[in-house]
Amino acid sequence: MGENLDKLAELLIDIFLLEPEEFNFDLTKQEIDTWDSLGTVAIAVGIQEEFAYHFTPDEANGLGSVREIIELLGSKGIDFG
Amino acid sequence: MKINGLKVIREGSGLETIEEAWSEKPTFVFLPRKSRVSDDWLNDQLSQVPESHANDRFGLLTSGSTGEPKIILSLKSRAEKLSLVLHDLQDSANVQSTIISLPLSYSFAFVNQWTWAKVTGRKLVFSEGLKEPEDFLSKLILHEDSMLCLVGAQVPMIINNYGGMIFENVIRIHFAGGPFPQTHFDDIKSMFPNARVFNNFGCAEAMPRLTLREAHPGDAPNDVGMPITGVKLRISEKEEVEFISDYRADGQISSGIFKEIDDSSWLPTGDLGRINSEGSLILSGRTNSVFKRYGEKISLMQILHLVNEIWDYDVAIYREEDSSREPGYVLVLSPMPDRSAIRGILGEFRKRFPRTHWPLRIESCKNMPKLPNGKDDILALRSISEKKIEWSQRI
Repeated sequence: MGENLDKLAELLIDIFLLEPEEFNFDLTKQEIDTWDSLGTVAIAVGIQEEFAYHFTPDEANGLGSVREIIELLGSKGIDFG
Repeated sequence: MKINGLKVIREGSGLETIEEAWSEKPTFVFLPRKSRVSDDWLNDQLSQVPESHANDRFGLLTSGSTGEPKIILSLKSRAEKLSLVLHDLQDSANVQSTIISLPLSYSFAFVNQWTWAKVTGRKLVFSEGLKEPEDFLSKLILHEDSMLCLVGAQVPMIINNYGGMIFENVIRIHFAGGPFPQTHFDDIKSMFPNARVFNNFGCAEAMPRLTLREAHPGDAPNDVGMPITGVKLRISEKEEVEFISDYRADGQISSGIFKEIDDSSWLPTGDLGRINSEGSLILSGRTNSVFKRYGEKISLMQILHLVNEIWDYDVAIYREEDSSREPGYVLVLSPMPDRSAIRGILGEFRKRFPRTHWPLRIESCKNMPKLPNGKDDILALRSISEKKIEWSQRI
């Protein structure tokens, strides 16, 4: 797994209080019971800290899965291998 | 030292200095050995004491709900009267001695132990408590029919120092000054098989006792019993516990302002609660421990209850706003937890509470800063440099 994928996984496990074995990159917002509106704020702050990218409010509120986070960051030049 | 004619004595200057000050007419102030208050602060407060309160009283230092210090003044005669009431209610006729384990400058120890020993002619056994565990141990063993006054935070240390030992000579244990350690009740009874254990509630302004109840296994720790003789309680519309008492303080000084405490007015205890159908007071937290966060009611007592189920050591909470200025709180653990302990605590938060109830951060420190009376030093907690951030909500 690439370094950035590792970082993202660790970040999301920490934000959502998941067990490592619960996490996979195909998880959607509906499948993560701790992904609520405050969780979205935490994702935005965490992404800023780890990847130096600042989501716009529309971008953050539009996220519905882990893959969408990867795709959005990828479109901003952050390489996930 | 004297300020404005009032004698100032500090813990550690000898029991005889308290005895002497008590026997003299002028009001005296009894301070902890070490406290955050400067001589200038002391001077500013005591210079405000009016002539009406210059005699027949004693003053103790306490901290308000924000952690800011204040001095509470009370009549010596009231403390003596309360000591005798407690002697009866706590069924202390057979108690021959009381072993000090908390600072005597703390109202709980001062009235329940020092004043009680004085008016009943019982023996006051000096000790530094758990600061000198070997000496404390020898006193627990040596003195027959003894009484202890403890705070819940001392129980893990007692178990840690003396676990497996049995102290048959202790026949009364009083808890006050924080949540009753119901989860350790079996441990307490194992170590002190002959002790009747009491759950006491009050506040410094009550100097200090409002209710008490003998404790039993399986009791609700927040059921603190019925008001004692001479005390009335009521619950405000905001669920705040208020009291009138025959024994309470009659003056306080803080921020350089003296306020007389009018005997006829209802005073807040700083706690929330309700009176059940039997007339017992059921506490539900401190007035600043229940608040709304993003529209959800947060009870810090409930939070502490959860953490105490998993974490056997010290835990404290301080209030903080998040980046959106919503009220929240920070959890502090001591000593430093390992990763699995943090994951365990966070796992329980995930199971039991929505994110609005989660702490803004979990921090840890080697030693929890404490006030001389054993309570958490909230002001110091916010600012000590050697804390570690174990987890953050990032909000």
